[in-house]
This record gives sequence, structure tokens and C-alpha cells, in this order.
Amino acid sequence: MSFFTDYLADPSRQARLLEMAVEHLVLVGASVGVAVLLGLALGITAHRVDWLAPAILNTASIFLTIPSLALFALLIPLVGIGATPAWVALVMYSLLPIVRNTVSGLNSVDQAVVESAKGMGMGGTTRLLRIELPNAWPVVLAGVRVATLLVVGIAAIAALVGGPGLGQEIYQNGIRRIGSPGALNALLGGTVMIVLLALLLDLLYLAIGRLTIPRGIRE
Amino acid sequence: MSDDMIQLEELTKRFPGQAEPAVDRLTMRVPRGEIVVFVGPSGCGKTTSLKMINRIIEPTSGHIIIDGEDVTDVDPDELRRGIGYVIQQIGLFPHVTISDNVATVPRLLGWDKDRITARTDELLEIVGLDPDLYRDRYPKELSGGQRQRVGVARALAADPPVLLMDEPFGAIDPITRTRLQNEFLRLQEELKKTIVFVTHDIDEAIKMGDRIAILREQSHIAQFATPEEILTQPANEFVEDFVGSGATLKRLKLSRVRDVDWLTDCPTGRLDDSPEVLRQRLADSDWTALLVLDDRDRPVRWLRAPDFHHPAREVARMGLPAVAFVRPQATLSDALEEMLVGSAGVAIVIDGQGVYQGIMDVDVIIASIQAMRDATNEFYRAAKLVDPTTGLAGS
Ligand SMILES: Nc1ncnc2c1ncn2[C@@H]1O[C@H](COP(=O)(O)OP(=O)(O)OP(=O)(O)O)[C@@H](O)[C@H]1O
Ligand SMILES: [Mg+2]
Repeated sequence: MSFFTDYLADPSRQARLLEMAVEHLVLVGASVGVAVLLGLALGITAHRVDWLAPAILNTASIFLTIPSLALFALLIPLVGIGATPAWVALVMYSLLPIVRNTVSGLNSVDQAVVESAKGMGMGGTTRLLRIELPNAWPVVLAGVRVATLLVVGIAAIAALVGGPGLGQEIYQNGIRRIGSPGALNALLGGTVMIVLLALLLDLLYLAIGRLTIPRGIRE
Repeated sequence: MSDDMIQLEELTKRFPGQAEPAVDRLTMRVPRGEIVVFVGPSGCGKTTSLKMINRIIEPTSGHIIIDGEDVTDVDPDELRRGIGYVIQQIGLFPHVTISDNVATVPRLLGWDKDRITARTDELLEIVGLDPDLYRDRYPKELSGGQRQRVGVARALAADPPVLLMDEPFGAIDPITRTRLQNEFLRLQEELKKTIVFVTHDIDEAIKMGDRIAILREQSHIAQFATPEEILTQPANEFVEDFVGSGATLKRLKLSRVRDVDWLTDCPTGRLDDSPEVLRQRLADSDWTALLVLDDRDRPVRWLRAPDFHHPAREVARMGLPAVAFVRPQATLSDALEEMLVGSAGVAIVIDGQGVYQGIMDVDVIIASIQAMRDATNEFYRAAKLVDPTTGLAGS
């Protein structure tokens, strides 16, 4: 059975693949969205409160070292099966790149710039919002991008715990039926869609960068 | 209202984990409208002292009094909005435009938009940057010198009475530095800000300061006096060493051409005078050359006696072009440099319109050095420090 003429040509399969791609995107988007808020907060805290920085960064690193299969499974007793464990796990995985880049982005802001803002009477919060974050933004955004691409792949494992997304095609129609006709195509179909999704998101980040990085600090 | 804009009282900074304070009981008064320069060797505490005035570094003890008000414990942000701050690294905000940079403090103070725009343009104008060209640029699109101008404009934005400057011209090439120094001094003549200026360069201190505080370790004041006094009456060996051996040459930077008696008896002529008349005029003087002026009294050519042996039809083509011009406000050091550059060994004094005023030669400068030395000796003689046989101070 040919991948292009049979598998992809089937209209109902096309619709199903698209549906799963949208689920996948929603899962990734929701996890990264939460991770951005959480990661920025943690990163800013680590930057401001020196003694907390190692604890925050190390915790986020440990999350990333837990094998993904194990993490999804470990979450089942805590939050059950379905979308929730997938979502929690992906937030945990996205956290490190975002936190780490927030910290290094804020650290990379020229001290003279921060000092002159301070010297002109700009208070801590204004300084953070108007000077430090805009200047750290390219680095922070790069972290968000890495986190997104990372979890686009990992999200496929969500299907193992009954989660949504393209993992279902790979797992239920592919891996579980390996040997039977069509299994290989399903495996391939899900994978290709994930790769396409990743490419699409990468382009999206390019556009976001263009739109949000101030002209004065663009390369 | 006191005449002192800034008073520092027993200001001390002890950094955590250090046995000795970085600044130890610094007490000083900065008169209203003057530039006080902190100068001293690296690590003596200049920057720390300066940063305690706007409390970027919080003093461990002591008091800061600005315009009669003790500001040691007021809200630091409030305090800083009233104090201009310029640092060597400038610290322009790279992500916003030049006009947004300059508008920083006015925005913090909540000025309305039109007022901010007008003020921003005015300031760019003041520091010599065409607003139409530069207002919408980003800092990375400017040269180092232009950035520092923006730094000064930004510090002046809300017209603060006090300005703190930490080596503001330190990272700029010598030619641009000289230009910025001169422009800043001219600006200060109008603005009359009270300025504390940090440098480690004694020449810059002498040039910029109305008063100089020579600091030694822990910001202990070795001498606090006018540049003239520092050069002619160093209070101790530390000051003498710090000022260095070139003290006489440095004094040339203190005196201006307008302060000395330049020569006014140089024979002059006009472009439409006949060579014969000019030859006679030169012969009647005890000068070796005659200066030809144009119809607006601007010097154009030097004529010497041999130039008349083969007179051209036009005076304008005889002799050598007049070079080496100085203005009355130039320093004697500038004048000396011009003399050495121009082959005539003299400098021609002209006013702002280029109109001839007189001539400076090396003798004029030597005479003025002599006068300064006499004044110094006068001081030492009064203090019975001079060996009358050599006339040299000290020993
Ligand atoms: N944040 C700090 N923590 C600890 N020590 C400091 C700190 N800042 C300055 N010092 C110390 O305080 C002393 C004075 O430093 P300061 O920067 O005021 O010197 P400076 O006169 O400005 O020197 P330079 O001409 O090199 O700029 C130095 O010994 C320096 O090491
Ligand atoms: Mg310093």
C-alpha cells in the first residue's frame, strides 16, 4: 500500500490527520503558554534573588532529565489519564529552556544600561518592564522557541497516556499494529505531520521575532 | 539658602566583607553653579564617592545634603530624577530611539507629549545633533562621540540643577574628547549647573574644574582647591607627584590668549596697497615681516623683505599665506601648538569673525610662564620656602 496514493489520498484520513494536528497544536500551545508565564516568573525571580537561582535552575534541569515515557506514566496516579498528564508533563519540559534563557537574557543586559536607568530614577518594576525585559527579549524568545520545538516532539508520547494529538496515529494505528498492513503508513503519516508542524512553528517564531524584537537591538 | 549646592558630611562606604572602607568620612562642599572635579589614582574611591551622591551606592554612614535638604533618607528614585547622571559607558537604552532615550526622565515626571517632543528636539540641538537627522535613530547607529552627546542631552532633559559625571569623556578618542570638553564648557557657561565630575586624568581635571579635589586612597582629600592653586601651590608631595613634572606646561592650559598681552605693533598692509609703500612700512618697523589684511581686516599673507626684490604685480600673490590662527579664548597651550605648526613661529590672533587682533610669539608665552612662576615664588617666599640663591621652590 503506497503512502501517497492510498494513505494520504483518503479524504477521511486527511480530515482525521488534520484534526489530530490541531489537537497537537493546542496541546503544545497550551503547555508552552503556561510555561512562558511560569518560566518568566521563575526566571525573573532567579535573576533578582541570587540565592534562589541555583534551586530554580536545577529543579528545571531535573525535569528535563526525567525520561519522557516515565514522566507521563508517573503522572497518571496523580492526575489520571487523558490530556491532563500530557499537559503537565509538557509544561515541565518547556520550563528549563524558558527559565534558563530568561535568566541569561536578563543577565546579558548591559549593566551600564541598567545603572543609567536606575540613575535617572526609574523604579524596579518600571526598569524591569521598560528596560530589562525588552533587552532580554531576543534571548527569552529563543528559549521559548527551543521549548516549543522540544515539546512538539515529546507531545507525541501523550497518546500513551490517552492524550490527544498526532501521537495517536503513531501509537494506536502504527506501533500497536506493527506488522499489519497500513501500520507503517500510519507511523510515517503521524511523524511527517509532526515534522511539518515543527517547521511551521519555527516560521511562526521567525515572524514573532520580526514583530516583537525592537529594531534597535535586532541583528 | 546656602551657597553650597551639595554638602557631603562624613560620607562613608564600607562594602560588605571588606576590612577598610572604600570611602572614609568624605566631607566636602560643592558651590552652586561650579564644576568640582574628583581626580585621583585608580581605586581611590572616586566612583564610589560620586555614586553615593545619587545613592546608586547607599552610604554606610554620613549625610548628603542637596540644596539645603538632607536627602540621605528620601526616596532614591525621587532624588535621582532631580540629578543628571552621565557615565563613561553612557548606557543609552539600545532598544529605543534617541528621542525616547532623551525623553526618559520627562516621561517619568509625567510631562505631556508636546512638551516632551519640544524639549527633546531642543536638547539635541543644544548638544549639536540635528534633531531631524537623529531623533528617530537608534543608539547603535551613532558614533561614540554622538552617543556621549546623547548621554549628556538625556541627563539634562528635565533641567536638573545637579549633574554627576563619571569619566564622561573617558572612552572617546582624544580629538573628539577635546571637542566635547570644549562644547561642554561652553554649555556650562549658560547652564550654570552644579557638577561633580570624576576623572583620573589630571589634565582633564585642570581643564574642566572650577575646583579640583585630589583624592588619595579611601577618598581622603589631598587638596581641594582651584586648578591654579593646585598647580602653583601643591599642598603636599602626593599632589605634586600626581600633578606630575609637566606642571608648567599644564599651566599653559590654564591661561588663555586673552589673558596675556599679545603684540599689536606688527606692521600691516592692504591688498590694494602698492608693494613700494608696504616695503617702506616694513623697513620702518623693527619686524621682519608684514601682515597683509583683506578688505574685512582678515589676515591673508605674510610679506618679508626679500619678497620685495621681485615684486609681483598683485600683493595677493607675494610672500606666504598667513597661517596659525588663534582666538582670544584659546589656551596658551593651543597657541604654542599653532606656532610650532605654522612655519612663521608666530600665531595670529583673530576674533570670531576672523578679524585681525594681534600677534603672539614664543616670547609672549615665555613672559607669561615667567609671570606665573614669579607668582608661585611669591607664595613660597611668603611661606619662607624658597632658597633665594636659586629661586627654586621646595628642596
Ligand atoms: N561593589 C563593590 N564591592 C566591593 N568593593 C568595591 C565595590 N565597588 C568598588 N569597590 C572597591 O572600592 C574601592 C574604590 O573603588 P572606586 O570604583 O570608587 O574607585 P575609582 O576611584 O572610581 O577607581 P577608577 O579610577 O579605577 O574608576 C576599590 O578598592 C574597589 O575595589
Ligand atoms: Mg571609577
